[in-house]
Amino acid sequence: MKPMGLNSTPFITYQDIIVDGIDLYEDAFGICPEFSNLFDMLRQVNIVPDKRLTCQLIEKIRKQG
Amino acid sequence: MISDYELIMRFVKGEQSCFEHLIHRHKNKVFAYISLYIRDQALAEDLFQDTFLKVIQSVKTGKYYDNGKFISWVMRIAHNLIIDHFRRVKQMNTISNDDYESDLFNSKKLSEDNVEDNLVKNQIHKDIRMLISKLPDDQREVVILRHYSDMSFKEIANITGVSINTALGRMRYALINIRKMMDEKKISLTVN
Repeated sequence: MKPMGLNSTPFITYQDIIVDGIDLYEDAFGICPEFSNLFDMLRQVNIVPDKRLTCQLIEKIRKQG
Repeated sequence: MISDYELIMRFVKGEQSCFEHLIHRHKNKVFAYISLYIRDQALAEDLFQDTFLKVIQSVKTGKYYDNGKFISWVMRIAHNLIIDHFRRVKQMNTISNDDYESDLFNSKKLSEDNVEDNLVKNQIHKDIRMLISKLPDDQREVVILRHYSDMSFKEIANITGVSINTALGRMRYALINIRKMMDEKKISLTVN
């Protein structure tokens, strides 16, 4: 008789589970699989400030010293 | 990578460029949040600048205590400035936020595509903006913070002053509402 565990899936520790970049609350709530198509849609737009705006802000800060 | 806290400390000690580094690091998140919330582009730009100026003021007067959440703190300042703005508008009772029409979305490298693709993409961007703008304020805020400012739900709860469960619930309702509006208006939002 084989000892138990040799042919079964090896146990993994919590440290082995990669959760980088995953919001565990969101994951636990099950939003991602349910609305993945909407997330793809929302990602189609990229909102960034104008370079001019950033330069203007930095200029203001430099003037303030 | 140098941490936000280290950059702040070095800025306080006189290294001006460290704050500029922080601006470049976080500007997209802050701007996305403000400009999706405030439809008047000029006003959104003012609030964007005011947010960072207020951050500097607070840092210099020792009001920032590091808990590893610099960006959450900045977003909270932006959130408060937006609320202050709407309070002022409400008191003046003169300006409606819906009166403005502006191009909030800077699309990715549109010039590289052909005209037809650009038109389709522009329409999609307009539709997405419209769908987001039609959401109730609390739901809209969660969608913007999560998807355009890349905040976690823990951070969103902290910024908006509600529990994580409430923030998650708002997100679910927002997405259900977006889906419903898309069905009603027969909107299909896919490129290609």
